[in-house]
Amino acid sequence: MSEPTLSRILYVEDDDDIREIVKMSLEMLGRFQVAACDSCAAALSLVDEFSPELLLLDVMMPEVDGPATLRALRERVSAESAPAIFITARVEASDMQRYRKMGVLDVIVKPFDTVRLPGQIEQIWRHHRSSLNDNGG
Amino acid sequence: MTTADEEYSREFARLSATFAAQLPRQVQVLSDDLDAWLLAPGDMARLDTLSHKVHQLKGAGGTFGCSGVSDAARAVEQYLAELRGDVSNASASAMDQIEAAMETLRGEANRISAESAQGGQRRLQT
Repeated sequence: MSEPTLSRILYVEDDDDIREIVKMSLEMLGRFQVAACDSCAAALSLVDEFSPELLLLDVMMPEVDGPATLRALRERVSAESAPAIFITARVEASDMQRYRKMGVLDVIVKPFDTVRLPGQIEQIWRHHRSSLNDNGG
Repeated sequence: MTTADEEYSREFARLSATFAAQLPRQVQVLSDDLDAWLLAPGDMARLDTLSHKVHQLKGAGGTFGCSGVSDAARAVEQYLAELRGDVSNASASAMDQIEAAMETLRGEANRISAESAQGGQRRLQT
């Protein structure tokens, strides 16, 4: 059986400029389907219909931050069907440890090269899939 | 280069130019917000909003390859974090530092905006 490929990404980022450029990069260069939105509430309204295979979440957002958004989304979609990646400019060791404890696949640090981003996400996804296979998942 | 790469490069250039054109105005809004907060430094909600806007500019600057903007925004963000919780005892030098960081940010924003406009003009002329 062939390995499933990553297709649908739900992306939550409150900064309009970054959201637009990342969506463009993921769609044009990565050929992913991307549902992009600016808040936890918007993500919750999209998640059931879009049925994402990956959650890509900015950490620092007003009102509901990335970790809280992930907790809210986990009520609707499991880590098995849609693992998560955080994006953050905040890279203190204690924060990274906290994010990883939440079960995210990886943390992408801002600023990032938007041309390389689709490949970076693909690589994280493949690593995740191969870990599942190694563990009989 | 594939068609997708070319299309992406064009769109990236378009968004970068828009970002650059809006930078001076964006920094002016931050500067006004900073002045407003300094008049009422106990207003933590205002400080949160200001800090978040500076944080966004730091990220967007880096994403669009404007490292000078990103670095200057990072400095402003750090000074704001240092002032948090201890603003009543903030020294004059701390205030000077944040003003200086904001001035650096303003200078970078104006420079990038001007360079981008000149680049656009050149593209129109060729």
